[in-house]
Amino acid sequence: MLHIHDASQTRSGPDAGARGAAQDELLRAMFAARKSVFVDLLKWDVPILAGRYEVDQFDDPNAQYLILADRDGAHLASARLLPTVHPHILGSFYRSLCEQVPPQGPDIFEITRFCLDRRLCASERRQARDSLICALVDHAIARNMRQYVAIAELSWLSQILAFGWECHPLGLPQMIDGRMLGAISIRIDATTPDRLATAGIRPSHSLLVAALPSA
Amino acid sequence: MEPDYYLLQQLTRQVQDAATLEDYREAMAALTQGLNFDYFALTHHVDPRSAGEEAVHLHNYPAQWADYYARHALGICDPIHRASHVAPGGFPWARISDYIDLTARDRHMLRLGASQGIGDGFTIPIRIEGEMPGSCTFAMRPGRTVDSAWLAFAEIAGRFAFDGARRLIGRQALRLPMLGRVLTRRQRDCLLWAFRGKSDWEISQILKVTEGTVKRHILNACARYRVNKRIMLLAPTLLDGTFSITEIYGYRDTSFGT
Repeated sequence: MLHIHDASQTRSGPDAGARGAAQDELLRAMFAARKSVFVDLLKWDVPILAGRYEVDQFDDPNAQYLILADRDGAHLASARLLPTVHPHILGSFYRSLCEQVPPQGPDIFEITRFCLDRRLCASERRQARDSLICALVDHAIARNMRQYVAIAELSWLSQILAFGWECHPLGLPQMIDGRMLGAISIRIDATTPDRLATAGIRPSHSLLVAALPSA
Repeated sequence: MEPDYYLLQQLTRQVQDAATLEDYREAMAALTQGLNFDYFALTHHVDPRSAGEEAVHLHNYPAQWADYYARHALGICDPIHRASHVAPGGFPWARISDYIDLTARDRHMLRLGASQGIGDGFTIPIRIEGEMPGSCTFAMRPGRTVDSAWLAFAEIAGRFAFDGARRLIGRQALRLPMLGRVLTRRQRDCLLWAFRGKSDWEISQILKVTEGTVKRHILNACARYRVNKRIMLLAPTLLDGTFSITEIYGYRDTSFGT
């Protein structure tokens, strides 16, 4: 199931407490999965909280999260969206990857921490990934966003392009801390869902109800 | 001469937006020149004569060399392609021995290429999940040398260009059939130990089953992949994610909780 966490839109109500507890659980599962992927597997030098969670200064109330979880709340995949009108990674640390000023506006968000759970097998990974890509596009359209920006290691860039959406380079890639990084923009409009479908990227409904073996 | 970012961006966009293969080749030739190279080759690492339409294979190499190359199906053993399977990103050919040990036959092939007009080059590995590996290469005539100032842009442009070619060919046609998850847990267990070099008797001791059971599981696994020898399961099960390289070659025994 897809969960959208957006602190700026959270309403209080009679059942806000119970929902809030479930949301916290989901966020914790995501931060733990991020630690497992970005720190343990990819060896990124990023802060760790309580030895278990990967949380940085951009995990603040401005961040939005798209989290795919199974029916027991186990994390399958997630992504973090940072508004470009607030401090974000491209604007704060990687301006040099952009030939001009980094794109900025209320309808431009940065995709960061795209994370596929390590417990998934190859076919589940692909389904989770495709579902999350579709969810990112649907979310953008629902919220009137018209552009995503992202920083990607070039080895992953071909995969990002293969999703079929319209991408453009923002500047020359650079070798930074041993990784070749590039910045791209991804245009989102009413034709984007069809572009994904043409490239074979479709949401998987079966995956969203399946349960994972516990870690 | 310094790379002109705006010109290169415009040329890349023309390659991305090409509506026909003809437009694509034309735009790609212009981009190649803009990047200060003479030749381009975008290809999946297959034998194009047997892969047919379901592979990217576009280039402007000299016809004589391209013919020879295709006749001998060099695309599947080309040292540049092999190096691209292990290189983390784009690499100038001068650095090929950082990635693979060149055999006498490889050296012969590279010399032959040079005699046919292909001197130095820069190759960008393209790896897309569920597809044959591929690459985008920019090359130049003998006597010219690769200027590193252009390589950062060549790397990004090459990736956009390869995606443009995939779009024109129809991305979905390029997908390998998904083979994953067809083995039972026990078949997988037996096969894993076999890939780690254990004999059927050794596997039977590790898994505490009879040797006959081990043989049967492995035979059944072969049947599921439609091959008749266990060694032929190694490549497809690695490719489809049934096993990971580290599981087979980098394992440590965790049965004592260490």
